[in-house]
Amino acid sequence: MNRKVCIVGVGHTNFNSMTPDVSWKEFMYDACKKAYFDAGINPRKDVDSFITCAEDYWEGFGIFDEFVPDQIGATLRPCCTVCGDGIQGMANAYMQIMTGLMDTVAVEAHSKVSDLLTYGDVVLHAMDPLFEKPVSGPVERERYAGSPSYPDNNPKPLVGSTDEKERVHPYFLAGLEMQHYLRSAKVTEEQCASVAVKNKKNAFLNPYAINQADLSSEDVMSSEYLFNPLKRLDISPLVDGAICFVLAEESVAKKLGIEPIYLNGFGYSSETPWLSTRGMDAGYARQAVNMATKMAKLKDPKKALDVVEVDDRFSYKELQHIEALGLAGPGEAAQLLEEGELYKDGSLPTNLSGGSMGVGNCLEATGLQRSLEIITQLRGLAGKRQVTDAETGLAQSWRGIPSGTGAVAIFSRNPEVKT
Amino acid sequence: MTYLEKQSNPLDPVHFRGNLQADYLYTSGAAGDKFFKHIMENDSFLASECEECGTVFCPPRLYCEDCFVEIPDEKWKEVPAKGTVRLFTTAMLNTFGEPLEVPKIIGLIDIEGTDSSMLGILKTKDQKQDLTGITVEAVFRPTQEREGTLKDILYFNESG
Repeated sequence: MNRKVCIVGVGHTNFNSMTPDVSWKEFMYDACKKAYFDAGINPRKDVDSFITCAEDYWEGFGIFDEFVPDQIGATLRPCCTVCGDGIQGMANAYMQIMTGLMDTVAVEAHSKVSDLLTYGDVVLHAMDPLFEKPVSGPVERERYAGSPSYPDNNPKPLVGSTDEKERVHPYFLAGLEMQHYLRSAKVTEEQCASVAVKNKKNAFLNPYAINQADLSSEDVMSSEYLFNPLKRLDISPLVDGAICFVLAEESVAKKLGIEPIYLNGFGYSSETPWLSTRGMDAGYARQAVNMATKMAKLKDPKKALDVVEVDDRFSYKELQHIEALGLAGPGEAAQLLEEGELYKDGSLPTNLSGGSMGVGNCLEATGLQRSLEIITQLRGLAGKRQVTDAETGLAQSWRGIPSGTGAVAIFSRNPEVKT
Repeated sequence: MTYLEKQSNPLDPVHFRGNLQADYLYTSGAAGDKFFKHIMENDSFLASECEECGTVFCPPRLYCEDCFVEIPDEKWKEVPAKGTVRLFTTAMLNTFGEPLEVPKIIGLIDIEGTDSSMLGILKTKDQKQDLTGITVEAVFRPTQEREGTLKDILYFNESG
């Protein structure tokens, strides 16, 4: 068995801060339709299995899987939801194809976060309800309309106040982690600010990145402290966006006459959810990249990778992730940035798409957004931000606060990564 | 149809507001139960120590996440409800993204005699810039008002 898995089609919606003109279903349909068009296939007969990446609380209703099939062409077909980032979904597609049971698999991930009116509270809901979440402040409502569990005569005693406006936004965890990173890597806030500057500038060259800005690091530095040392402009804005990939066995790509981009390796890993004992050095990324490079037989990633996309939901995260991926020594990513190595013409072009800073934080679609950039680069279609002769690229994602889960995917134009 | 003729009047799209009725009972579990019942009556914490690797967990756990072995009752111990601030931040926003009326200082506190840390609201004696390394002590609600949840800890106060 010498099966190989490649990407034969990609499609995505526009990314925007809100998308009131379409429902989330139409939004997904839009991305999938484009991916199937790109691959030149009809999902109703050419796709063997479908995977979406979603989380009920992001969506606003229960058992998301059940709401999926119609808008992606999957009714009465094998279909499942991976409760994780798009790269994790892609990993599952890879495994399905490698079994020999499926030849073509569609993977979809999206964010329709503008439909979510209580983002902060939904994220807070991801913290341990007994030992961690209460630190944020009042979590119970004195009286919640229609709720039998909060009768009028039994308001719960709360610490401080019953005012729900006093609940602290869970991004405070990023403030804590950033402080840890600044100290352990001996990096300054200015150096982190430069990440936001770079990526928002990169966004000018990416037609679908909407958060482009020409900032100086002083602009970032003078934005207000929200969770000291984290400042307003260190935080990536939320966006809506849907992305679909069609993965297929190499022979399908040949039949379709498509020049394939190979998925040579992937990895994913989760740290303990307990903040009490969890590391703060992106250990998930370290584990994931070890798995991915081993699978891709990539001995010297730093040398082999032509283009890299890493998670930068908060500016410091880009530097922390580059180090965790082994692409820079501890505390050395900031230096690479200063020396220009993370720019298009540097030795390690990073987040040329604009990343989460420039495109926006698209929740579980983040991994696919990063992978999309790598595929675009490897296809040679990246326009003004194209890296010359890009052959191999790496995309990395993190599921965001308060998760300790990350994934890595390695793509190349060749069935075996050239080292 | 949306895709052939896109909506262009911003007043056209219709939406409605909904919410999820999602209320739960969160069971403390065997380990959590002991911990929370303990703090209802004591101004200290309970911790549990893995027999194999010696890691001391606080809040205590029934099993060690590294060795994946159970922690027997005799490896539980009482530890003082105090520790050292490792990391801290001043939170300015509430969950709606609006400014908090009173910013909160939240710390990650390494609990004394354990290998674990806890999140806690910090109160200091004076306005300090750097709270790293200061020792803090948990301030509990009056005993008769405790309900056996983390909220029995009001905040962590600078010691001494």
